[in-house]
Amino acid sequence: MTDQMLPTQDVAVELLVEAGAVLASSLDLPTTMNQVARLTVPRLADLCVIDLRDEDGSIREVAVASADPRIAGPLEAMRREHPLDPSGEHPVACVIRSGEPELLAEMTSALMHSFAQGSEHARFMIEHRYHSAVVAPLLARGRTLGALSVLRLGESDSYEPGDLDLVCELARRAAMAIDNARLFSQLRRVEQRLEAVLVNVAEAITLTDDGGHMVFANQAAAELLGASTPAELMSASPGTIMPRFLVLDERGQELDLQSMPGRRLFTGESVEPLLVRNIVRATGEERWLIIRSSPVIDPESGRILYAVNVFENITEVKRAQLAESFMAEASRVLASSMDYTETLTQIARLAVPQIADWCAVDVLGESGGIERVAVYHSDPSQVELAERIDRGYHLDPDDPLGVPEVIRSGRARIYTDIPPGALAAYARDNAHLALLEAIGATAVIIVPLAAPSRTLGAITLVSSESLRRLSQADLALAVRLGRRAGTAVESARLYTERSRIATMLEAALLPESLPEIPGVDLASLYRAAGELNDVGGDFYDVLAYGEDRWLLVIGDVCGKGPRAAAVTALARYTLRTAAMLDLTPTAMLDTLHRALRHQPSGLDLCTVCLATLDLGGKRARLTVTLAGHPPPLIIDADGGHRQVGTPGTLLGVLDPIEISEVEVDIEPGQTLLLYTDGLPEADRAGAQLGEQELFESDVERPDPSLVGLLTQIERAALRRANGRLRDDIAMLAMRLD
Amino acid sequence: MGVQDQLQIGVRHESDRVILALDGELDMATAEQLQHAIDGLDGQEMVVLDLEQLQFIDSTGLRSVLAVLERCRDRGQQFAVTRGSQQVQRLLGVTGVAKHLRIIDAADEVLA
Repeated sequence: MTDQMLPTQDVAVELLVEAGAVLASSLDLPTTMNQVARLTVPRLADLCVIDLRDEDGSIREVAVASADPRIAGPLEAMRREHPLDPSGEHPVACVIRSGEPELLAEMTSALMHSFAQGSEHARFMIEHRYHSAVVAPLLARGRTLGALSVLRLGESDSYEPGDLDLVCELARRAAMAIDNARLFSQLRRVEQRLEAVLVNVAEAITLTDDGGHMVFANQAAAELLGASTPAELMSASPGTIMPRFLVLDERGQELDLQSMPGRRLFTGESVEPLLVRNIVRATGEERWLIIRSSPVIDPESGRILYAVNVFENITEVKRAQLAESFMAEASRVLASSMDYTETLTQIARLAVPQIADWCAVDVLGESGGIERVAVYHSDPSQVELAERIDRGYHLDPDDPLGVPEVIRSGRARIYTDIPPGALAAYARDNAHLALLEAIGATAVIIVPLAAPSRTLGAITLVSSESLRRLSQADLALAVRLGRRAGTAVESARLYTERSRIATMLEAALLPESLPEIPGVDLASLYRAAGELNDVGGDFYDVLAYGEDRWLLVIGDVCGKGPRAAAVTALARYTLRTAAMLDLTPTAMLDTLHRALRHQPSGLDLCTVCLATLDLGGKRARLTVTLAGHPPPLIIDADGGHRQVGTPGTLLGVLDPIEISEVEVDIEPGQTLLLYTDGLPEADRAGAQLGEQELFESDVERPDPSLVGLLTQIERAALRRANGRLRDDIAMLAMRLD
Repeated sequence: MGVQDQLQIGVRHESDRVILALDGELDMATAEQLQHAIDGLDGQEMVVLDLEQLQFIDSTGLRSVLAVLERCRDRGQQFAVTRGSQQVQRLLGVTGVAKHLRIIDAADEVLA
């Protein structure tokens, strides 16, 4: 032993070379410490102890190697039980504090007692005959990590000052290795924390190198990219993942691998986040992703080592946004026309290709049959195919499946999977089956065309040749579309229906023709405001009223619609009956007033102008009676005119009514004009003018024919109202020959 | 119906009355608004419709004014209006409604 304990120059070199090799071999701290300790025993020492200083200054971690196996274990145990006091007199503590090596050439019993960590420690040292020691600081990167102690026991030679250099050099190398191992374990801890974070984030994250290899992927990335585990994803060869997907930009242009941000980074481009529409080729599932890539740069070379790719799945948000803009567009289309066949065709076009490859709309006819009103596909030859199916195999309303079932039940259906036998079961014969197969449906959605109270038909959406397959999210959008379109179709139908009823009602409220009165010219004109969509409250009549007497009536019931129509009919027939009973004009109006007051709902306003024409005397006499109505005009041949009558209370609301009859003469050539207040009110600005101004400015040279005059007045009113009347106009005119 | 077919109703409470100032046009499109505006205004002795800024009224508008009159009578409230534009005055005159309304010069005029 003694020979080995005397290191020659060769042994020293050998030791240092071995130290270098051993220390480079491991980055695990305990392993590294044990290797260093064992390296010195037995060639340089009988016992080697490595003490490490913790971050907090305490000295806890220890590695011991000894030639005598009875020493190492108990010494480690003792260190654990009685840790060295960092501020104490123990040589290790002193070296760690000073950073300078110490040679304890001869360890006397007194010396050992002076620094022992208790009597047990002192006994241990004496018992194992501690004899000589060198304690060298473990210095690395400017810090003292701990101390390396080599000891000789019993009869071994003492260390000499010349041994210090070797031990210090050994300690330097050990310190470097220990520091590396420490840093490495710290790095591992940081990495583990980072990985724990990345693994658990919702976004898919991958790390790719410049060869396209995936060096890291989290679980979300594995799921997004169709792998069951991150490991499976990372073991895939570069370029084998992308072909599983159809990747499109926002405008629908296909993108290749080289245009992905993670690839473009390595070409030195600065990359913006990329929004892609991604369709899984295997399932037809569609996703919207934002891909963000940022570089990991090697601090020394400045080279890009990795691209960190974050895939944010914004499918829900994007879908909602697309659905909103689709519905907005659909609503615009639906509101654009009251022709529902045209509207539904446009809706079918709108749905292709944004939602589906095919769109068809069927409606339930009045006879109970199902009528196809629209079918659309971007390829006309395909449209022809669908039309052939519809012609040859017209939908039977009693079919248990498909459109008829949806119309009957009012429930939306989605078929995301069409098993091979399903079409055969549905087809009526082989030719039908062949046509259905030619459609090539991969998924089908049928939703009711739902009006608030009933199902009017169905909208069918089919995905076929495009990869994207209809999904539950599309179903929700289709149901909304069906509801919106159904309501629009119902409104269009009701509108048409109402126009028809309005025309019929109006005809019933106005006389079919005016009676023939000898020596008297009569003309009337009725102009409804807007289209024939609301029943107006204007009415007029010319009635025989006793011997040589005639009654001209014009009136206006407040409001529009069925209620006004009913009140108009009541007014007109009450006045007819009153005229037959030969009541005076005041009594007639009073009768009507009371009739209106008896109406259950109250506030049925009505204004009336009555003009009786008495041809019995030498001169024709007019009696004008007004109830809330604008006074009639007497217009001379040259356009001069005047109002006739005294304002009276409108009927139906206020009690008592005040009404007075005014008698005037009328000359041949003079025109009596009765009108409703739609006329002076035709123009809001002009509405502030009195009737006189109105006629003066517009009818300077009255048309000699009565019909011509009314047309002239009507045109002037229309002109003032810029072609849009705000109320109906009714005029009744009379002229003596 | 254009944008100009609008009615603004300003509600102002004075000691003995609530004043509804109508600004704009009272017609088929806006008559309903007046009915809603009067809802719940039953705490005051008097309701005044200030028609000063009312540019236009048609028969439906007139009916809604009369409806307000009826509701005030039912609630035991007094009712008055101020003079409106020429068109408003003309319609109130032609229909004989003016005679049935208490027409005051200013919305806050103290009544005997």
